[in-house]
Amino acid sequence: MHVLIINGSPRIKKFSNTDKILGKFTKGLCENGTTFEQYEVSDKEQWDKMREAYYNNDNVLIALPLYVECIPGLLLEFLETLKPKNDGTKIAFILQSGFAEGIQLRCGEAYLEILARKLGCEYMGTLVKGDNFSIRFFEGEQQDRITEPYTEMGREYSKQGNFRSEDCKKFTGPEVFPAYVRFIVGLMQKTVAKKMFAKVAQNWGCTKAIDYKPYS
Amino acid sequence: MILIVNTTSDNAITGELKRCIDEKTLEAEIVECASLKISHCIGCNYCWLKTPGECSIKDDYEIILKKIIHADQLWVISDTALGFIDHKGKNIFDRILPIATMYLKFKGDQMRHVPRYDQRTDIGIIYSGEVERDYMDRWTERAALNFESRSLGVFSKEQIKEAVSCMC
Repeated sequence: MHVLIINGSPRIKKFSNTDKILGKFTKGLCENGTTFEQYEVSDKEQWDKMREAYYNNDNVLIALPLYVECIPGLLLEFLETLKPKNDGTKIAFILQSGFAEGIQLRCGEAYLEILARKLGCEYMGTLVKGDNFSIRFFEGEQQDRITEPYTEMGREYSKQGNFRSEDCKKFTGPEVFPAYVRFIVGLMQKTVAKKMFAKVAQNWGCTKAIDYKPYS
Repeated sequence: MILIVNTTSDNAITGELKRCIDEKTLEAEIVECASLKISHCIGCNYCWLKTPGECSIKDDYEIILKKIIHADQLWVISDTALGFIDHKGKNIFDRILPIATMYLKFKGDQMRHVPRYDQRTDIGIIYSGEVERDYMDRWTERAALNFESRSLGVFSKEQIKEAVSCMC
């Protein structure tokens, strides 16, 4: 199988969490001889080639971050330039987000099924998982700890050609956190997380408070 | 204040809205995006962690952002594509991130970003074209969570009177 992979993140490849996820995913994907080509929506110079590849491939995988409950505006802009295929092309998606609970991604996932239909492609399912916000803030082993599970999902996709298996569904993790986890995480957000954000901000050269109001 | 952002180039819609608004003597502002430059969100996270509350993209979206934080209602008028609002309409929503902070909290059973400002802005959609109606309703409800507000509903441009009845 040969797969066209589109990284639908508007963030440049170097800092793209979706790209790091795809790095691990494709490692698993290629183990059994599956090949792929990857393009970046964030680089408009690739759009013509990407469009051509879309028409020439019958296995398409779009990986994307959730942007305001649906797909990012830039990815939408690219997709608007495509004509429906209606030739048996199969399309699958990897939907990832910062928010951790599965429920946060369901509205986006629902759209992807509609999108497959609008593009005249057969919907092969969506691999849904959140809690990926911090990928860009880590390197090496720490980053691998977050992204490595996607390798197994790459193997799974190369075997099944879809994301419909129980393992893929389980990959999402909890739909919502149980009350005691919410209590603990909520407390952490008020304390250690605030300190961590302040530290990242400082490293980025931020001189204002995180909750600064520039326009009030 | 009611903020109406027209991302289509059809000012007949805003023309009719203006007449209805004047009749009801509502306080409203209309922004026509046809002459504005508004980019997509590039996901840089600067508005959360480098220049809190400020977008790194210096374009005309700042005009809209400054109005949203004083608006009780935000209505986005959008063309449609692929069963949804088109990218110009979606970009208006994607670029609201500066009104949230990096901080997180639980709102009900789900995590949400702590808002930067006190204003709560309800959102409504007026579309021109074809959409998956049930999905648009669901999406708008969900999108409102990002404003800690509620959806005012989704209306086609042929239903402007119904939309105006939700403006106050």
